[in-house]
Amino acid sequence: MLPSAIALLGGAMGRTLPSATQILQQNEEALSRFRRALRRSDQQAFDDLFTAAHQHIAEAAYASHLMPFEVSLLCMLLEEHKTVMRLQDEISSLKSKNA
Amino acid sequence: MPEVEGWILDIFEDPKDGLVLYIVAQDHQRYRLTTPFPITFYALGNNSELRSLWVYLRHSHPDLHPAKATRLDVIAQRQVPALAITLPHSTEIRAIVNQIENRYPALNFADVDLPITVRFAAATGAYPLALCQIESDDQDRLIHIRPLESPWLIDHKSIPLETLFIAPNVDPQHKKPHYIHATIHHRGYRLGLSDWTEALAILRRIIHRFNPDLILTSWGDTWLLPLLIEKSREYNVDLGLCRETGRNVNIIPERTYFSYGQIVHRGQQVHLYGRIHIDQKNAMLWKDYGLEGTLETCRVTALPLQTSSRVSPGTGISAIEMQTALREGVFIPYQKQQAEIFKSVRGLFTADQGGMIYQPLIGLHRNVAMIDYFSMYPAIMVYYNISPETITTNVKHGDLVPTLDFAINNSVEGLVPKALRPLLKKRIELKKRLAGFSAWSPEIDPYTRTASALKWLLVVCFGYLGYKNARFGRIEAHQAVTAYSREALLLAKEAAKDLGYQVIHMYVDGLWVHHPEITNPNDIDPLLVEIQKRTGLPIALDGIFKWVVFVGSRGNRSRPVANRYFGVFQNGKIKVRGIDARRHDCTPFVGQSQLKIIKLLAKRDDPADALPEAVEYLRYRIEALQ
Repeated sequence: MLPSAIALLGGAMGRTLPSATQILQQNEEALSRFRRALRRSDQQAFDDLFTAAHQHIAEAAYASHLMPFEVSLLCMLLEEHKTVMRLQDEISSLKSKNA
Repeated sequence: MPEVEGWILDIFEDPKDGLVLYIVAQDHQRYRLTTPFPITFYALGNNSELRSLWVYLRHSHPDLHPAKATRLDVIAQRQVPALAITLPHSTEIRAIVNQIENRYPALNFADVDLPITVRFAAATGAYPLALCQIESDDQDRLIHIRPLESPWLIDHKSIPLETLFIAPNVDPQHKKPHYIHATIHHRGYRLGLSDWTEALAILRRIIHRFNPDLILTSWGDTWLLPLLIEKSREYNVDLGLCRETGRNVNIIPERTYFSYGQIVHRGQQVHLYGRIHIDQKNAMLWKDYGLEGTLETCRVTALPLQTSSRVSPGTGISAIEMQTALREGVFIPYQKQQAEIFKSVRGLFTADQGGMIYQPLIGLHRNVAMIDYFSMYPAIMVYYNISPETITTNVKHGDLVPTLDFAINNSVEGLVPKALRPLLKKRIELKKRLAGFSAWSPEIDPYTRTASALKWLLVVCFGYLGYKNARFGRIEAHQAVTAYSREALLLAKEAAKDLGYQVIHMYVDGLWVHHPEITNPNDIDPLLVEIQKRTGLPIALDGIFKWVVFVGSRGNRSRPVANRYFGVFQNGKIKVRGIDARRHDCTPFVGQSQLKIIKLLAKRDDPADALPEAVEYLRYRIEALQ
């Protein structure tokens, strides 16, 4: 099971709860065996997903969701969808040029 | 001395005379005045206990005059009845409170351990270093004192201090000093430590001839003054360090404590009576704000100068709040007992957060304005009325705190906002004046140091709001401040988007926004006005970057890191944060090389034009290293 905020209670000085960054990092560590088992090219994609989640730490913290990693997964989806949208735009502009 | 104008240099308690005041008069005379100063504390508890205490005091202490009183209790959030006990001699308070505490363990107390100068300032308006009109009788008893200015006035008349500076020739912790420097009126004296008879005789003559108000030392607390006292006893020379006859110096022992994961050592302190001793090496933030800042801290906190120069800004903020509480009829808790409001796990998740820290867009950006909220947390406390007694769970009778389950009661102004408002106002005013000075104005330095003293008080006031042992601290008030700060940052982000800006980075109280058309400071005004309109908080432009680079993480360059950047403002000033050159764990060689490269890049409008030059310099540095 992935570490949730409650499981990480304590240890962080001056705070009652771990920060959003700590939770994401610990989740990444918890998945290190999964990452190791991946092919090298897949590892790159895996790292990109976590980079995407890191980009939205502030938003994830503000959401203060009880299962923070769910929000991190959504952050990954968000960046994926942004890429899809950008590619769609490019395709349609290429299409209109060729037409 | 029938009536004079003068400054209060020192106030202290005396078991016989009540209070002793040392005055530096405008006619350059020094006066010692006395006044009886009865003080009041309160016992709180149920009616039968208070009644029993009243009967007991009437019999055992007929001079104490216990009386019924009602004052605001910020913990109970209502007016609470109590027994007011007035002591003719302030020095007896500890003994009396201990006696009552032993006899009536269920009672609580208020207004017990307050600095006497704070009580005096609350009662008379006259605070240490204030210019006052003073009337006394022929036996030097104070008849009347009236302050001629307020601590919140920027252009006050400064106390003309006769200052003697003494310091050993080297740091005594590292090497044995051979002589002591003494300087007064631009004249220097060298006191050799091989001949103590002569050294003590010269020092005694200096003190008696010039009668200094302030003895400014280096290592005076920890080495110099204890040594002088020891030698003056050995050689039987009365140096006259204290002006007050019959009083010895007051030595407060050294202290070591644990704070924020660090062991902190505070050296011993040597306090004088009737004269001020400040040890530059043991004074709080001396390197940051010097004597001007130290005097400013004393004026606004009303703590004795020898105390205010040595305590943390947190103690200063407490003193300001105490003075406000005394004036406003609010109990100052002695031993505080307060539980946190019950919160659900969900509520705790939302409340237990700090300021918002966004991840920046990595890379080089041009035409970026950096704007930040002015003293954001104190401004939130003042403008949103955040105080322990304004927090309410009854959300119908207040304004709901954004995202949290409790509200702020805005029907009355809270104690903390009331205490902080003049402090914040003075700092804003000082900053405005500083911005108007030309770069070479002689006024910049003293104004900067004064502003810095106020800045430190404002910085810590937020921490004190959440500190459970602080008299007027309460965790929910602390949480409300951060909740409003997140709201203010989001409102600013929305305003920027609505006005066509791209937000590059946001960090707690600051935003970096890009617009292709911003080149001069006025261009940003509409955005500042809009943010101020939406939040009610003051916000200002820090500067417009010609270009700024946000860098990625060391481990993974595509992963952004908050608050790590370098850039150059339009006036050519360079700003760097978080990179090696700013870090304490970085070798000077790397830091200097990095700064030099940034300077090379900063010379050109397009930093790419300077790349060949920068690369050449980097090669040269690497060669130099080999």
